[in-house]
Amino acid sequence: MMEKILEVKDLRMVYNNTSEEKLVIEKMNLDVEKNEFLCILGASGCGKTTLLRCIAGFEKYEGEILVNGKKCATPGTDRIMVFQDFNQLFPWKTVEKNIQYPLKKQGIKDKAELKRLSDEALKKVKLKGYGHYYPYQLSGGMKQRVAIAKALALKPEIILMDEPFAALDAMTRNKLQDELLTISEEENCTIIFITHNIQEAIVLGTRIMVLSQGGEILIDEKNPISRPVSPSSKGYGELWNQLHEALYKKNKK
Amino acid sequence: MKKSNDFVYSIIVRVVFIIVALVIWEVAARQNLFGENSEVIFPTLGSIGKAFISNFTEGYAGISFWVYISNSLRLLVTGLAIGVFASFILSGLSMISRGFYHIFNLVVSIFDLLPGVALLPVIIIMFGIKEEVIILLVVHAVIWPMSRNVLDGFMAVPKIYVEAGTNIGLKGLSLLTGVYLPAAMSYIISGLKVGWARAWRGLLSAEMIFGIATCPGIGMYINQMRTNMNNAEMYATLIVIIIIGLVVQYGILTPIENCTVKKWGMSK
Ligand SMILES: Nc1ncnc2c1ncn2[C@@H]1O[C@H](COP(=O)(O)OP(=O)(O)O)[C@@H](O)[C@H]1O
Ligand SMILES: [Mg+2]
Repeated sequence: MMEKILEVKDLRMVYNNTSEEKLVIEKMNLDVEKNEFLCILGASGCGKTTLLRCIAGFEKYEGEILVNGKKCATPGTDRIMVFQDFNQLFPWKTVEKNIQYPLKKQGIKDKAELKRLSDEALKKVKLKGYGHYYPYQLSGGMKQRVAIAKALALKPEIILMDEPFAALDAMTRNKLQDELLTISEEENCTIIFITHNIQEAIVLGTRIMVLSQGGEILIDEKNPISRPVSPSSKGYGELWNQLHEALYKKNKK
Repeated sequence: MKKSNDFVYSIIVRVVFIIVALVIWEVAARQNLFGENSEVIFPTLGSIGKAFISNFTEGYAGISFWVYISNSLRLLVTGLAIGVFASFILSGLSMISRGFYHIFNLVVSIFDLLPGVALLPVIIIMFGIKEEVIILLVVHAVIWPMSRNVLDGFMAVPKIYVEAGTNIGLKGLSLLTGVYLPAAMSYIISGLKVGWARAWRGLLSAEMIFGIATCPGIGMYINQMRTNMNNAEMYATLIVIIIIGLVVQYGILTPIENCTVKKWGMSK
């Protein structure tokens, strides 16, 4: 029996900050198990970001979201968000301090210990030696790596990733996918990863979901392809077609 | 290479300009343009230089020039500190309470339009002539532009920093000091620049309009020099005022900028 780490129960989310209300998620139920790497695919505007923001506690919603059985309606360090935007690091702190600052707020005061933790996290994302850089001195890919390192160092229950690689060039993107895959296999972490790239979902996910307008779940299944996945892996083509069809079919309406 | 050439060029141009300006001054001063008392009204560089030194060595009426300078600077620093501190507190409160934000915004917009010197008569009638009045004027000069900038800076903080901040457990005061303050740093620095410049001008004006006998300052010194026709000393005092301005700009404000927004790649 697997351990449920996240439960989304009857989630309903309406934006009413503009003149008219916008219903984004009608009714969603979702369970995520510990150590799962859940990839969520969906067309642009179908509510992927909104779902993640609800889980992170940035939005007001109806329904319940539970982490380890406990309700969580406000942001917390048990759910760390990695945004798509490269500018999510604090520009006034060095790379190292960006990683250490949240740890300090968690109560770790010992300087040597903080240094050890940030070094360890930077090593995981292959940025050893970049600790004293300021964010503006890094490329987009490096910034996303630091954001991932920051999340890893905090050891949250769930890491929420909202298309973190979408704005990167294809080469950097592939490299970061590889690294994230390695990290997810070596660490005990649960990840919800949003993407609109089918290849990315198949390569990374242990479970793949396709979302459609209103938060309707079209597909939700375990990734049948054994790792490491490449386009020549057995079953890759069928899965790709199946996901593509689900994505595309609903899109046309 | 190109850059250092540019730098050398800019230095040469400036030095040449200053030398030419000084030569013109000296030549003009020796033409006795203002009749027989011209040397008093339009002193030569030599007598201004002498006055510059005697200002410091002799002072006026038994009071050292240093006392005048330190009095002015003390009032300035006190007023600046109070003004900057208050504008942080008030802007911070504005971030917590929506209602307070609207009221404070209105108050800032109104008082920002009032030159301090114009308020002087009102303040003197209320409080009389004492050094606190000048401090009040300095506070008035700095608090509104500073608050305007801090408020604008807080409002312009990108949402993603705030969300990243709340995500790692910051809220209330820790969010204010951990995210809003550093993120608004370039606004805060512009506020400081405008605030200090207004405060310094306001302070000198106030000292010239009414000198406080118990607390004589630089503005009062210029006035005393004028009434005594010590014009060379007057000019020498203007130079001191410029030097103080340069020290604040390049000794305080520029370094603050260099080790914050410049270093962080955040300068506007
Ligand atoms: N803050 C907001 N206010 C109003 N509507 C929003 C807001 N954010 C997103 N939306 C709308 O909600 C829908 C889903 O957005 P989003 O979750 O960002 O989609 P996705 O991430 O899947 O591309 C879109 O139609 C979008 O226009
Ligand atoms: Mg999105």
